Amino acid sequence: MKRVLVLVMLGLLVFSGLVLAQQKPTEITFWHAFGGGRMHLIERMVEDFNYTHPTIHVTAEFKGSYRDTLNAAILAAQQGNAPDIVQIFEVGTQLGIDSGIFVPIQDLCVGNELHADDLIGGVADYYKVNGKYNSLPWNSSNPVLYYNKDIFRAAGLDPEKPPRTFEDMLAYSKQIVESGAAKNAISWPLHSWFFEQWMANMGEELVNNGNGRDARATESYLTGDGAKTILTWWKEMADKGYWAYSGKLEDWDGADAIFVSGQAAMEITSTSDVTQRQNDAAENGFELGTAYLPYPATTVGGRQLSGPEGVIVGGASIWITKDHPEAELQAAKTFVLWFTNTENAVRWHKATGYFPIRKSAVDVLNAEDWFQTNPAYKAAFDQLLNTKPSRATQGAFIGAFPQVRTIIEQAVEKVIAGKATVDEALAEAKKLADKAIQDYNASVE
Amino acid sequence: MHQARFKGRLIPFLFMAPTLAILVLFLYYPVFQTFKLSLYRVAFLGLRKKFIGFANFVDLFKSSAYLHTVLITLLIAGAIVVIGLSVSLAISVLANQKVRGARVYRLLLIWPYALSPAVAGVIWLFMFSPGFGIVNYLLSITVHIEPNWLGDPYLAVILIIVVSIWKNIGYNVVFYLAALQNVNADVLEAAAIDGAGPWRRFRSITFALLSPMTFFLLITNITYAFFDIFGTVDIMTKGGPIDGTNVMIYNLYRDGFQYYKTGFASAQSVILFVGVIILTIIQFRTSGKRVYYGGA
Repeated sequence: MKRVLVLVMLGLLVFSGLVLAQQKPTEITFWHAFGGGRMHLIERMVEDFNYTHPTIHVTAEFKGSYRDTLNAAILAAQQGNAPDIVQIFEVGTQLGIDSGIFVPIQDLCVGNELHADDLIGGVADYYKVNGKYNSLPWNSSNPVLYYNKDIFRAAGLDPEKPPRTFEDMLAYSKQIVESGAAKNAISWPLHSWFFEQWMANMGEELVNNGNGRDARATESYLTGDGAKTILTWWKEMADKGYWAYSGKLEDWDGADAIFVSGQAAMEITSTSDVTQRQNDAAENGFELGTAYLPYPATTVGGRQLSGPEGVIVGGASIWITKDHPEAELQAAKTFVLWFTNTENAVRWHKATGYFPIRKSAVDVLNAEDWFQTNPAYKAAFDQLLNTKPSRATQGAFIGAFPQVRTIIEQAVEKVIAGKATVDEALAEAKKLADKAIQDYNASVE
Repeated sequence: MHQARFKGRLIPFLFMAPTLAILVLFLYYPVFQTFKLSLYRVAFLGLRKKFIGFANFVDLFKSSAYLHTVLITLLIAGAIVVIGLSVSLAISVLANQKVRGARVYRLLLIWPYALSPAVAGVIWLFMFSPGFGIVNYLLSITVHIEPNWLGDPYLAVILIIVVSIWKNIGYNVVFYLAALQNVNADVLEAAAIDGAGPWRRFRSITFALLSPMTFFLLITNITYAFFDIFGTVDIMTKGGPIDGTNVMIYNLYRDGFQYYKTGFASAQSVILFVGVIILTIIQFRTSGKRVYYGGA
């Protein structure tokens, strides 16, 4: 009797297991680098997806910084345990391709599933490598100038006429600081990103071989006239006490604090902060303006600039790792396509300030008069739309980009601290950057 | 005296097996791997690697940036150990006095040790932030100066040293207090009767009797100053400004986990490992001999 009972129980157990297995949705993991409010937004979007797609269950996990996320993904792939979907920062694109742990999103798509023609120009230009999308563009941003209109008024400046050029910036800064309207004129993090953007804004490439896009880059252009123009101006801004920073490299929060607390009249930072900065302005009771990234109006190495060339798309894209069963790859693809579709692009833009990356999303926003009622978002987006496509504004591709960034930042630090002249610092930076690029190339070839 | 012995050679190893297993798995094997990786050029945290002999080491010793890192490390570590131990000893002697509320003082002194390096780093970061920190606010309204603590290479080094010392004082004080309570009061009293002043009594008796503890703390503090200040550096300066606080352990992390040069980072790890081993051996050979452990 007992034996029969045990057999029946075992049978039931196996049977229920089978039923469960059949109903069990495909599990997909998605690693990203967004904490705080953005993490909650992502989780809500994922919840919506899971609700409407009962055969797939996505779990989103916050893995720390961009670098941490990429490290974790590579380590997991090494152990045969890679997450299905990983968010990788834009300068990690070359690394992502070279690592060989990802499958190009375009290879997974059939027909026009990708709707690549619907991606806005700047974004498509950045992520299309040798005519192919390896990853799906997602959060995309540019640097933009934020300014405190109340401080502009106090300094006797027209709050509707933000500075446009490097020269304007010096004149405006002088007036702001000398009138005592604010302690410092402007803040932005000591980050190589701004240097790269200014290079692009004057049409200067960062590395050789078509900014690393025609072939692997082997040499940097850090001793060019473009680089010198930027550093000379940066040093003047610092020496005169116009530019303030926290003293730390890549300290975004430090720059935010200086601007939001009213110590500086302006801040240059990512467009992805528009929503946050509007909230800050409301909380601290000042009127916020946004404008284009300033550019040098004079000649660069004898070449007359007619205006800004434009900016490079920053941010990150979404990659799918290979070595998973076909069903899992398809489920991952279904999710990322949904996650970046028109409706979600609109939602993501409104909640963060990151660009609406699809033309159809822009149409929806225009139909809602979004940019008319929210002018702060407009400057940022117009700047991207007005960017002239070129190898310079497309952005550089360098495998050793993370290291090159630090090298550039240290050159800036040295110039500002007066430890080296612009020429000396850039010559040394070029030597170090070239070695980093060549070491990287040797490690992947 | 009769000493108990195990019969057979196997049983002792059986009892040690769990410990040995953990040591092999989590200590010896990774160390072996690190030595091995230091001879390779590694891409993507080990996805691809190529044997290059000692090229990583040659690159390191030829790089003036790395030599600067080594010097900075010795300077910062030296200051942390010497100043840290002196201050800890002074505080411990004071906290050992029989005053009202001595227990409360002692508890408060140990507190900083309970904070994680990250939390401690953030607290100090807020205090010394140039724009909105309390320190610069107070300095600006009193003496009208506002130093850029994190932007100036010298100030940043001083700040890292001060924070690291402050952070480890609790640990040192706990051990020193315990040792001080074991100092025989009779000996001190006898010396006092013989006419020894307070300084003489401290130097010749208390300090001498504390020497085993000082030696122990010297070793642990060196380890702390070389390895454990990573968290403080990462939170406060990220090795900057201009690599002013780029200590060896931080440089290693940057090369390994931010620039994906695992082999190069392994080579640095080997250098650090060998350096600390050599320092420890010197300790045992020199000051170790002068340690007075008591007894006959």
